[in-house]
Formats: sequence, structure tokens, C-alpha cells
Amino acid sequence: MSRRVNVDFPDPLVPATITRRGRSGSGSEGPSIIRAYPTAEPCSGTGIGGRQHPFAYIVSEPIKIDIWSDIACPWCYIGKRHLESGIAALGADAPDVEIEYHSFELAPDTPVDFQGSEVDFLAKHKGLPVAQVHQMLERVTGVAAAAGLDYDFDALQHTKTLKAHELLHFAKEQGLQLELTERLMRAYFTEGRHLGRVDDLVALATEVGLDADAARAALESGRFAADVQADIAQAGAYGINGVPFFVFEGKYGVSGAQPAEVFTQVLTQVAGERDEAAA
Amino acid sequence: MTGEAMTTDAAAPSPFTMVTGDPSAMVCEGDVCYVPGATAE
Repeated sequence: MSRRVNVDFPDPLVPATITRRGRSGSGSEGPSIIRAYPTAEPCSGTGIGGRQHPFAYIVSEPIKIDIWSDIACPWCYIGKRHLESGIAALGADAPDVEIEYHSFELAPDTPVDFQGSEVDFLAKHKGLPVAQVHQMLERVTGVAAAAGLDYDFDALQHTKTLKAHELLHFAKEQGLQLELTERLMRAYFTEGRHLGRVDDLVALATEVGLDADAARAALESGRFAADVQADIAQAGAYGINGVPFFVFEGKYGVSGAQPAEVFTQVLTQVAGERDEAAA
Repeated sequence: MTGEAMTTDAAAPSPFTMVTGDPSAMVCEGDVCYVPGATAE
């Protein structure tokens, strides 16, 4: 489970995690995105007294990736896919990573129940020329398709994402933030689901294994509202004005939906620096 | 990859070493998404 927000990046952000590394004879093993905890499979560690211990593991820390994003940000979902592709491109050499999402509410003034399409919202609510709106939506739809995402702006229901962010914090507490992030983004951009209402959010929460009653209680109580605002405030303190924004190991900042190769390069850099430090 | 990665963006008021990467990578701010430094979409 990811650590709670607070965030002073100069301090160690990465909780000690036990992961299995270098499984012999498995050339196809890809990167591990957290939750790589011990299994019952023996490996070749050395136990107390020099004896082979059947459950010995190398204690290591995954590379921490903090991501500021909004569910309603089309480039955040694309950036997510590019990051995943960048990690996967490293294949068996990929380092273990721990990903934590942070809240960034793009448009706090958005009504929960906006009546109209995305084009309507951007054209009427924000005053953008209709032709320009169509052009930008066509462009993002094309880039999303190249990333394997089937965006449907005709079905999209524009809404305020504050409650969705609260639910993501609840999911983080439950160890299911990555699953819920993917589910909410897919629901918003490809399925035209409404993400501003408690009932709809609870339904999606249950699909990733969250308890319905607990999710509803978390949303109705506003228990995670302060965490959402803390994330947003932290982004401001870091000078983060736009999303997606990725931070690797509290050291390297990556802004925007960068190509997969950029993420691959940053991960390689960070892993190399770790190796040098350990040598 | 386009652009140069692992270079510091001196203009960014960020505590991080900014990776330039692809300078045309899009970000969203408010309800508009844009290429930093270019005209907003």
C-alpha cells in the first residue's frame, strides 16, 4: 500500500518493500509494479548460519513514481499508457516501481451535472471556438488511439472530479489506487460514465474490489477531502501548473504525456544511479 | 525519441531536475491542453 501524501521530496519517499528479484530461468518476467510481495516459491538466498533459507528474499526498494493527474485530463490517460509502455519496454530488466497518484483538479468550477457535450462545455462554458474544439478533440482522439485508447468524446459526460479524487484516496488506503485509476479513466473517456455522483463512483469502486459501503461512507463523509486538497497544494508548492506531471524518485520531473521512450530513459537513468550508489 | 532527455529546464520553478523529453508533449491546465510554450489549444 502506498504511503500517505505529506510529501517532502528531499526526504526518503520510498517505503521499504520486499520484492523478489532476478528469478532464474524466467526470461520473460516483466517489470513489477508494486505489490510484489513474497510468495511461497523458494529462491536461492542464504539464511541464518549460512544455510539455504527457503524463504529468503532480497530486500530492495522499488523506484518511486509520483504522478499528479486528473481523471478528466485526456493527456493524463495517454501519459499513463506511455509510462506503462516505457516500463514494459525494459522487459526483464525493468526495475520494480511503486506508482502513487496524486490529485490535481483541473477545473474546480465545473458543475457536477453539466448538461451538454464536451464540445458544448469547451465552446460555451469556456468560450473556445467550436472549430478549434473539434480540432483539438480530433487530435487527442488520434493520439489516444495510437496509445490503444478508444476515446469517445460524444459520449463523455463532463463533470466535477472532486469526489472521484476522494475515492482515489480511499482506494489508495485500501491498496487499490492503480486499479481504480485505470477504471475511472476508462469509464470517463471510453464508456461515457458519469464520475461526479456518489452512486456511480461506488458502482465503479466495487468493480475493482472495493467495498461498496465503505466507499460510500468515505465519499459521503468527505473523509479524504483534506488529502485531495493537500495534493493540490503540494502541486502548487512544486510549481506544477499542468498535468500529467511525473516525479521519479523525488528527483526527476517529467511534464506532459511524454513518449514511452522518455519514461524508459528516465527509469534507466534512475536505476543506473542506484547501481552506482550501491557499487 | 524527439528532443533531449535528462536536461535541466532552468526556467521551471521546480525542485526537480526537469526532463525535457519531447518538447511537444501535451499538458492540461484548467480546461485547455497545450504544448508548453506554444499556443493553447
